[in-house]
Amino acid sequence: MAQAAALVVAEPILRLRGIGRRFGGLHAVRDVDLDVARGERRAILGPNGAGKTTLFNVISGDYPPTSGTIEFLGEDVTGLPPRTRAKLGMGRTYQKSRLFLGLSVEDNLYLAVLGVKSGHMRPVIVPARDRALRERARELTAAVGLEGREATLVGSLSHGEQRQLEVGMARAANPQLMMLDEPASGLSRGERVALTDLLLKLDPAITLILIEHDMDVALRVAQRVTMMHEGRVIVEGTPDEIRANQTVHDLYLGRGFQPDE
Amino acid sequence: MTVPVSADRIVGAGALLAAILAPFYLSSYWVGTLLTQMLFLGIVAASLIFLSAYGGMVSLAQVAVYGIAGFVLGNATTNGNTKGLNLGWSPWIGIVLGIVIAVAIGLLFGALASRSVGIYFLMITLTYSVIANLFFSQVTDLSGFGGISGIRAPNVIGNVEAHQNRLYYVALVTAFGVYLLLRYLVRTPFGLTLQGVRDDPVRMASLGYNVPLHRTVAFGFASLIAAIGGILFVWWNGHVDPASIDLGATIDVLVIAVLGGLYRLEGAWIGALLFVIVNNYSQRIGFIGDRFHTLIGAIFLAIVLVSPSGMIGLWERALSLFSGRRRGPLDRNPIEVGPAEPSV
Repeated sequence: MAQAAALVVAEPILRLRGIGRRFGGLHAVRDVDLDVARGERRAILGPNGAGKTTLFNVISGDYPPTSGTIEFLGEDVTGLPPRTRAKLGMGRTYQKSRLFLGLSVEDNLYLAVLGVKSGHMRPVIVPARDRALRERARELTAAVGLEGREATLVGSLSHGEQRQLEVGMARAANPQLMMLDEPASGLSRGERVALTDLLLKLDPAITLILIEHDMDVALRVAQRVTMMHEGRVIVEGTPDEIRANQTVHDLYLGRGFQPDE
Repeated sequence: MTVPVSADRIVGAGALLAAILAPFYLSSYWVGTLLTQMLFLGIVAASLIFLSAYGGMVSLAQVAVYGIAGFVLGNATTNGNTKGLNLGWSPWIGIVLGIVIAVAIGLLFGALASRSVGIYFLMITLTYSVIANLFFSQVTDLSGFGGISGIRAPNVIGNVEAHQNRLYYVALVTAFGVYLLLRYLVRTPFGLTLQGVRDDPVRMASLGYNVPLHRTVAFGFASLIAAIGGILFVWWNGHVDPASIDLGATIDVLVIAVLGGLYRLEGAWIGALLFVIVNNYSQRIGFIGDRFHTLIGAIFLAIVLVSPSGMIGLWERALSLFSGRRRGPLDRNPIEVGPAEPSV
């Protein structure tokens, strides 16, 4: 508990105040306050339609919020476009893979590495400059378990391999804040274990926010858990507190869930 | 790549050799009229295929840009007896000015359309083509309905009628240069970024890329290619008028690109060759005569039904039958105007 208290006191890397997002009459996210400390592992749970992915899209800048402010690294980023937030150190994955299907695995990661650097418009191949980018792309290919598949078109990868690459894309730019939207969705049991290991081995300096329905993954990786329902944050606490919380049981985990399993 | 590269290379080299030697075994009519036309129409179609295949942007403005370059060249270089400004400047200044102005307007067009995708992008670029056509019809100081006549090529090329092979070789070298340039460009950071924007603009934005700016610059670059085609067209034709860039001409270039194959650069010249031959010889068949567009429409339909990826698709299919391999997801539909979702 002392460790948890220290996390709250530390200067948060991400601070949301009064965040709301409407889509016409639908209030997808309402009045969310959230503080995530540097280096923290945070899971966001909630039933389908709770507003988790919308919250991610607001944090990454894909949608502007309809109300509230977002501070990242102590700076107000509410009005900044996604590309600027990426350059400040945010990286994310998508619930449904968003990859470049017509390009090879290596070229996908190359683009992910190049994104936060200069030279997007460079119309010539300069081996001296590309070598470092290419090396980093190949390193990442190996890190996400796709070694030997560098030249494969991403469109012909399996679903599981695409999910692995999705995580690699978010890591490529060495973000300070990494947001993973259901990284385990559609993965087999074995792949989930491998993913959990990968997340546990992640550099502790990286802050991680994770949306995940799989409790084995979410509660093992997370230090703190935020529970959302109908666009609001309803509970926040450690994994143990969440396991013990009756509201969480009723809303999300169902009656069959045994905390000590 | 899954297709054996060697077969592509051999056929490509053979086609290039046949083109280089064409003046020695074909009539001057074929070389001067049909093949030269094929080369510059292919360049314009290549600018469209570049945007479509690598940027996911199907543009109907390529003929407008090609016309702008042609009209600027005409206004700058003619002297005396025709419509337009008759500035009488050197042809070299005309070339540079034509290309620079066409690219500048292309960048403006691109900037305005860069936040649209799919069918909306297609409609906006169609608007550009209509605007350009009406502009040159109605602004009589620059052209007017009758257009600009007597536009001459630089002295190196000389009188196009008298030295048909010279313009042919200039067009051949230019077309091959354009092809190599585009092939190279798509492997550079600029080209890879463009392909990323094609596949997923939302992801590109969250990786740190400025998607609208990249689309704009790509559109400007395609304008450069189209403008080069426009300069060659005006030298070949000696004349440019608003009918050269009307809706019919705009659609002709789209037809060429789709006939050839909208997802591979080589398709531009293959489609142009088919188009030029059909256009020329169908006039001589009595019952077709003026009904050229009905005929090309029927051919278009037949090719699109048999091979959605155009003639180049037929070739690839033949190769894969031969080698027993199948192509991957690059086997795209011909007119893929993309999702209608608004992007970033």
